[in-house]
Amino acid sequence: MLMHALHDEGVELIYGYPGGTALHVYDAIFRQDKIEHILVRHEQGAAHAADGYARATGKPGVVLVTSGPGATNTITGIATAFMDSIPMVVLSCQVASHLIGTDAFQETDMIGVSRPIVKHSYTVFDAKDIPKTIKEAFYVATSGRPGPVVIDIPKDMTAPENLFDYHYPDEINIRSYNPPVDPEQSQVERAVDAIIKSSRPVIYAGGGAIASDAEEILYELNEIMDAPVTNTLMGLGIYPATHHRFLGMLGMHGTYQANMAMHNADLIIAVGARFDDRITNSPSKFAPKAKVIHLDVDHSSVSKIIEANVAVFGQVKNSLQAIKETLKVRIQDYDKGALEPWHGQIKEWKSMHGLNYELYKDESDSHQILPQAVVQHVYEITNGDAYVTSDVGQHQMFAAQYYHFDKPRRWINSGGLGTMGFGLPSAMGVKLAFPDEEVLCITGEGSIQMCIQELSTCMQYNLPIKIININNEALGMVKQWQDMNYGGRHSESTYKNSLPDFVKLAESYGHVGIKIEKNSELKSGLEKAFAMKDKLVFVDIYVDPSEHVYPMLVANNSLEDMWLSKDKKT
Amino acid sequence: MIKRKLILIMENKPGALVRVIGLFHQRGYNIENLHVDVVEDFAPYKNIEDKLNTKFEPNQISRLTIQTTVSDILMRQILRQLNRLIDVIAVSNEEATYFKGVLLDENLL
Repeated sequence: MLMHALHDEGVELIYGYPGGTALHVYDAIFRQDKIEHILVRHEQGAAHAADGYARATGKPGVVLVTSGPGATNTITGIATAFMDSIPMVVLSCQVASHLIGTDAFQETDMIGVSRPIVKHSYTVFDAKDIPKTIKEAFYVATSGRPGPVVIDIPKDMTAPENLFDYHYPDEINIRSYNPPVDPEQSQVERAVDAIIKSSRPVIYAGGGAIASDAEEILYELNEIMDAPVTNTLMGLGIYPATHHRFLGMLGMHGTYQANMAMHNADLIIAVGARFDDRITNSPSKFAPKAKVIHLDVDHSSVSKIIEANVAVFGQVKNSLQAIKETLKVRIQDYDKGALEPWHGQIKEWKSMHGLNYELYKDESDSHQILPQAVVQHVYEITNGDAYVTSDVGQHQMFAAQYYHFDKPRRWINSGGLGTMGFGLPSAMGVKLAFPDEEVLCITGEGSIQMCIQELSTCMQYNLPIKIININNEALGMVKQWQDMNYGGRHSESTYKNSLPDFVKLAESYGHVGIKIEKNSELKSGLEKAFAMKDKLVFVDIYVDPSEHVYPMLVANNSLEDMWLSKDKKT
Repeated sequence: MIKRKLILIMENKPGALVRVIGLFHQRGYNIENLHVDVVEDFAPYKNIEDKLNTKFEPNQISRLTIQTTVSDILMRQILRQLNRLIDVIAVSNEEATYFKGVLLDENLL
């Protein structure tokens, strides 16, 4: 009955791992051929894979696990999806209902454990409720501000003898849940008033804009407005990175021009972004001259950190559309030319301390491989058109800075929770969704080891992902902070020659491994890896371990206070 | 830090109460007084029924009052996050009512 309901909901793929309380469901999976099940090697991998699938496709990811450890192993994956508002439904099986509360074998109060990190959760207490619960869970997970939903299913609810008149509901109405869709016109008018009055606007777009599939309408609006655009780490790709009005990412490791533009703007248009602490630095010093228009579907995000002057509630796609239409009507009041001095100023900032995009052109062995150059080569070789997943740390920031995403849903990373181990399993989810597309995982030797068991899953399902391991033989971002703030004391951030031979490791799983240590071999080595279309290739690249990520905001200050290099501050 | 009273109208379902309490616990705030009743007289909530285009049935909704001490800014954040919970229908303090995201100026509850 559960499988029927999932099929009727349109589910095509499930990521999971069987176990005692899930056996009835797994038997049902065996006896059907409509839904494909992917057997991972660790339940955390299942959650991240479903998450990657959801981020790349926009469809909800589905996870199926057994009770107890099966369920708790998904927690990090659920928290990752929750922080980044990713639609996901986790079906966690539970001990039989008469055993709940008796400390039965593999019993965990999954609803209790997951409560703070889910959008909502359900327990099935009557098998007849399964279709309605599934329908409701998918509706909640995908509507409004998306998020993960857990359904806890005691074993007796899925017993094959537990038959009932099956009917899948066509639609669902939850009276206490009505996320806004269309904005109030009065709010839209106020937003347009502010846009017309502004001479130094910045559009600041985040993950909410991607969740709302707002790329086209954002582009069209800015064809009229002609404002500079910056993206958050989560928003990369919502506006074409190669567009001349694009400033790059903002925030902690954002570009000089993006942070300077935000700090000096007279109007910030926040589109599905939530003023995270990695963006604002000290909120009291954030963008002192700016009015804020905040477009969001979630009321509790607006004026949470930074007070909004105009709040536009609704699906941001619809809100942008309404602003565009209204601005068009009042176009004679809007003077695009008034932005010229602002564009001039931004151009000047860019030329002063913009990122160096030419690094990769020096292919001599006069220096060690630079991590930034690795990303630039990968960008060139893949024509900027790959799906790129990432883990967390320096390599993630280098990827965000140097891989230019022109399309949304191509940059898949754990922004909010910062989950190491996310990269490889999420790449599996993307590759399963788009088998013909280039999917690569930019990672580091620290992160990749947190979910490396999934190399085995990649073999079973023939997933030819490219793993770009930026190996600096240390937990690079931790080490960078220790260098900058702790007198260079590298407490527990290096491994003292205990790293595995990643080439042999990849080979032992049946994949291909390539090791690159010399700068002169970087380009050819990467080209060789990407030429092997039907193989998973693990490229282990030894880079200069002393490299830091810059720019970097100076803590507890404004957005114009940045470290630009190891010894240079703004 | 001011002593405050909050009133919530929510679905009478298992698990709803603990989601509400969690938002206080997470921030380290103590709840000084808590009272939950199943609503039997729907007359005061007619306006909510109208807005939701629904009809409350016996045993379907609960009224919850909470007394706690928190700052202004945090109170607003907690109010909004309470309102975001799926089982919560309306939240009110002495100044304002949040009703599924819509801030109503009048105090409804």
